[in-house]
Amino acid sequence: MRDLKMMTYGEAIREALDDALAQFPDMLLIGEGVPDPKTIFGTTQGLREKYGAERVLDMPLAENGMTGICIGAALAGMRPVLVHQRIDFALLSVDQLVNNAAKWHYMFDGQQKVPLVIRVIIGRGWGQGPQHSQSLQAMFAQVPGLKVVMPTTAGDAYHFMLAAIADNNPVLFIEHRWLHHIIGEVDKQAPAAGLDGAAVMREGRDVTLAAFSHMSIEALKAATTLAEHGIDAEVLDMRCVSALDIESVAASLAKTGGKLLIADCAPEMASSGHQLLSKLVLAHGDSLKQAPRLIVYPNHPVPTSHYVANHYYPGAEQIASAVLEMLGRSELTASVIGALQSDLPKDQPDRSFVGPF
Amino acid sequence: MSPASADLKHLYYQMLRIRRAEEAIARRYAEQQMRCPTHLCIGEEAIAVGVSAHLTVQDKVFSNHRGHGHYLAKGGDLPRLLAELYGFAEGCCGGRGGSMHLTDLEAGFVASTPIVGGTVPLAAGYAWAEKIKQKAVEGHRNVVVIFFGDGCFEEGVMHETLNFAVLKQLPLLFICENNQYSVMTALAERQPKRDIYPIAAAHGLTAVNGDGNRVDEVYELARVAVANARNGLGPQFLELHTHRWPEHCGPNEDDDLGYRSPGELAEWKLRCPLLQTRQMLLAKQLSNDTELAQMETQLAEEIEQAFEWALQGTRPTIDSMGQHLYA
Repeated sequence: MRDLKMMTYGEAIREALDDALAQFPDMLLIGEGVPDPKTIFGTTQGLREKYGAERVLDMPLAENGMTGICIGAALAGMRPVLVHQRIDFALLSVDQLVNNAAKWHYMFDGQQKVPLVIRVIIGRGWGQGPQHSQSLQAMFAQVPGLKVVMPTTAGDAYHFMLAAIADNNPVLFIEHRWLHHIIGEVDKQAPAAGLDGAAVMREGRDVTLAAFSHMSIEALKAATTLAEHGIDAEVLDMRCVSALDIESVAASLAKTGGKLLIADCAPEMASSGHQLLSKLVLAHGDSLKQAPRLIVYPNHPVPTSHYVANHYYPGAEQIASAVLEMLGRSELTASVIGALQSDLPKDQPDRSFVGPF
Repeated sequence: MSPASADLKHLYYQMLRIRRAEEAIARRYAEQQMRCPTHLCIGEEAIAVGVSAHLTVQDKVFSNHRGHGHYLAKGGDLPRLLAELYGFAEGCCGGRGGSMHLTDLEAGFVASTPIVGGTVPLAAGYAWAEKIKQKAVEGHRNVVVIFFGDGCFEEGVMHETLNFAVLKQLPLLFICENNQYSVMTALAERQPKRDIYPIAAAHGLTAVNGDGNRVDEVYELARVAVANARNGLGPQFLELHTHRWPEHCGPNEDDDLGYRSPGELAEWKLRCPLLQTRQMLLAKQLSNDTELAQMETQLAEEIEQAFEWALQGTRPTIDSMGQHLYA
């Protein structure tokens, strides 16, 4: 019998950590706030009680040192999962991540391995501001030896987390805070994830929307409304930033007449969209039949004030408008945008969210 | 308690082995075949030897850019070290690392790397895992040793690691080799005028200092520290004063550059750890000229054979260059 459950992305993370702690006796779950009353937005709830304070623990405010300590523990056979509530704090550990974790297996000629997961969360909204909401995925994905994944759905969150913990390499596991509340289907019996490959979230024939993390949700929203207007968009969730699945994009473009829109939750200059486009053009030069579009954030940090921050983030409306332009169907723009508009404050992902988060 | 007579002779032999190996590397370095940054530890041999004398093969050592002595004292394979310097596939890292990245897992020498402070938290993490795993075994646990310099003590990660090591009472030895120079920058330009070990002690661990050029003193301090760490008394810190003779990186001396005070190097050479131990062995009649000469002959043969083996190494294939990015 299949074990199919509907749960939020955040619950799927908790479920995966729970199952991994049961499956891997050498797994450690450590991070600032892991066992505190708020339990990393609920994602580590109950795990200390179940698995003990030696395996589920808080840590000193020492991101670089603790990353090195987790690498050392991994060399000795443990499987640490190190959590940063905001990805911005991972910048303090770049030395250990880049100089040690990513290179250790290589520079010691394959004799040693570092099975380490760094779990980080991208903040957004309610004034997260310049240092709690950065998009650093492309930067980390530039480091050979580091796997970088950004699952979007609850099902992927569950299976990618288990796969990351089982992996014998350092994996940067990036969660967008605005995904945590989204409900999806988790099929525990589904085959193990491979930490590579894009996923088709919606099939279509008119245009390919290749999107990352929370922007995949926005692309899906745009596609749903576009469908009501007779436009059939295919949505690809790119999921794996360090192993961009160009083949799936090219296959989709063959169906959609070579029309590509990329949506990334990153400033333009920090977008993995550039890498995706470059690799696509180099490997499949004839796959694009018209100029592609890139929907990204502006090239500056996001300010805290919601009066301006609300205008920083593009979403389904911008994606849909761009698609209509690409297809020469701008006469539909007003109607599509009208259908996409919501009275939800723009710095809240969901009505259930209340600050501070 | 000083080392027993047989121990002192053994300690001398181990120091002499490192000294002669380093000198041979320095001589051959000019041939331009060892094409990697190489930091020799001539003048500092007593620390590696005095500490490692108390370690079993199950105990682990982490080290830094100046790691040849630590590697050899822990039992690291000499021919494979040399092959690594030559960039051959038979090197201890298959030519991936060179002098600054050494490993010999069979000897319990986990790794040396050159980013200052880089291996300090790794040693603590390893000790943490050892402590978790060995919980069931009462009364004895493996220890982990991290060797680092006075410059490393300025790194934030050093203090992050000290904090965690004390918090978790890890079976870990911090060995600070204070040779007063970071590359060519004197300690006085980098740290206020105070000792290092009390700063470590302020983190809440046992910290002492001593003469790093007296192998008998290092041996004794390390004996106590290793025993404490093994017996669950938590991390231990030794600040050992010493001096590097050659240039920071490379086979030559560089006293002519003038970054050391006039006469400073000459004074330290009079405090040579080998010279002092040799005098002790002879004064106490624990050894004699004939035996010391035999040691030299034996080591010369071993080192020559190690070079012969290393020089017959094979080049890593170009195809192998992309291997082992992922495990």
